[in-house]
Amino acid sequence: MSKITIPFGPQHVALKEPENFMLVLEGEQIQGATVNLGYNHRGMEKAAEERTYLQDLYLIERVCGICSHSHTTCYITNVEELAKAETPKRALAIRTLVAELERVHSHLLWLGVAGYEMGFETLFMYTWRDREQVLDCLELLSGNRVHYSINTIGGVRRDISAEQKTEVMKRIDYLVERTNYYIKLATEEPTIYARTSKVGMLPPEEALRRNAVGPTARASGIARDVRKDDPYLIYNELDFKVITHNTNDVFGRLVVRALELVESYKIIKQVLNNLPEGPIAVKVPMRIAPGEAVNHYEAPRGEDIHYLKSNGTDKPERLKVRAPTLANLQSVQYMLEGGWMADVPLVIAAIDPCMSCTDRAVVWDPKKGKKQTYGWEELRKMAIERYKRRGVDFSRLG
Amino acid sequence: MSEFEREEQIKTDLEKHFKGSVSNALVQRKNRVWAEVETAKLPEVAAWLRAAGFEYLATVTGFDEGENLGAFYHITDTHVIINLKVKTPRSNPAIPSVLAVYPGALSYERELEDMFGIKIGGLPPGRRYPLPDDFPTDQYPLRKDWKFVQPAEEKEAK
Repeated sequence: MSKITIPFGPQHVALKEPENFMLVLEGEQIQGATVNLGYNHRGMEKAAEERTYLQDLYLIERVCGICSHSHTTCYITNVEELAKAETPKRALAIRTLVAELERVHSHLLWLGVAGYEMGFETLFMYTWRDREQVLDCLELLSGNRVHYSINTIGGVRRDISAEQKTEVMKRIDYLVERTNYYIKLATEEPTIYARTSKVGMLPPEEALRRNAVGPTARASGIARDVRKDDPYLIYNELDFKVITHNTNDVFGRLVVRALELVESYKIIKQVLNNLPEGPIAVKVPMRIAPGEAVNHYEAPRGEDIHYLKSNGTDKPERLKVRAPTLANLQSVQYMLEGGWMADVPLVIAAIDPCMSCTDRAVVWDPKKGKKQTYGWEELRKMAIERYKRRGVDFSRLG
Repeated sequence: MSEFEREEQIKTDLEKHFKGSVSNALVQRKNRVWAEVETAKLPEVAAWLRAAGFEYLATVTGFDEGENLGAFYHITDTHVIINLKVKTPRSNPAIPSVLAVYPGALSYERELEDMFGIKIGGLPPGRRYPLPDDFPTDQYPLRKDWKFVQPAEEKEAK
């Protein structure tokens, strides 16, 4: 049978974000795959050099719509290390709390996407409904559902009250119950096992060779977790396990993420029950003495690493951001080869590539003090107007 | 400094094995080691580190120091991060590839070529990353002398 090469993406119904895979097919079987990236490059590292440390915090938060707290915490740890700031213990605890809530929200989202990709849409509906509980927790604590902006240089923006603690605990108890059901589902339901077992195999030696990170590596039996290996925030004081699995396939990645949820609930409860007393932020000067720092962080998808160089001004000299998906894409190439065309969306989704979506926006006008909510129709109309001014007319598209 | 025994040990071993090629080695704090490596020796040092258990190349950070361009190779065993610094002259920037040691380095090395214009010796042919295909090949956005110029049509739209 002759080989054909087909492009998969950057625009494809099975992909949620722009990336391109060139698949060499022999019949339905994949003989080779190359990954092409860069469709979403926004020049943030360059932009960061032209902004102050505080402005960068809000820029870096927008690296990702889901790991927003991961990136800012990693960035801010570097800034505080260079500024030699003593961040209060209570602030570190609150950062840890938000980090774990974020992990819960990210993993529940992934469970839903995995369910969707394997044709189990009920699971998608279930987990995304439950994910609202954790998003409510985040909104309660920070005021925002996705970009929480809880971090500020030297601490956090908001304190946690006793009422908030009770509310979060209530929701976590509900989620624990639901997650036990998902674990049962993931490990005992025969259709899930049939669809995910032996799909997207990544043996441990390949995972190591290709430097896989996060749940992708842990599902290949590699116990690698920055929270344990090089503890940051207050992780060295917390009791939790690193979850690994040895099936090396999508099934393993499913089980690892489901069990990690339980560990995250454990951490959230520990932090809430032992919140240290004291201030939540210290003042940090605008200008930061010359120096270099590197820090990593266990984001929901794997290791995040940031390098920061300061030069004595209020703007960084160089900031480097490496998100976990970039580290894992080398492994995806291996997982796809020898597999089947129909498994491609599931295998790609299994590393949890980054995506973000939102269909509503609230505009706050500080001059008038008025809040206005825009719906989909209005946003669409505004977009059409905007492009019309630039000479492109989309209105005929209906 | 006995409190960072392991870090000090790595530093001494590096200096001993690559006498004359490793300079300015420094234990910055717990789990952070920095060192400057002679550019041509980079693949050799990387191979030695990998054999010593430093199996992850976390990322590569390019930099522009004016006269010199260069890169940091952040190599880790998940506990200790070793930051290897290599420099290369701006007039003819080139760094050998570490792909043979760390296959995961492909996108990081392509990024150095695209964003800094550093020629990576031994990089297989392939598509560029991360800049678009029609981006001018003689412009390197992360160099300090490169400034963003807003396209005319965007200015008009404002």
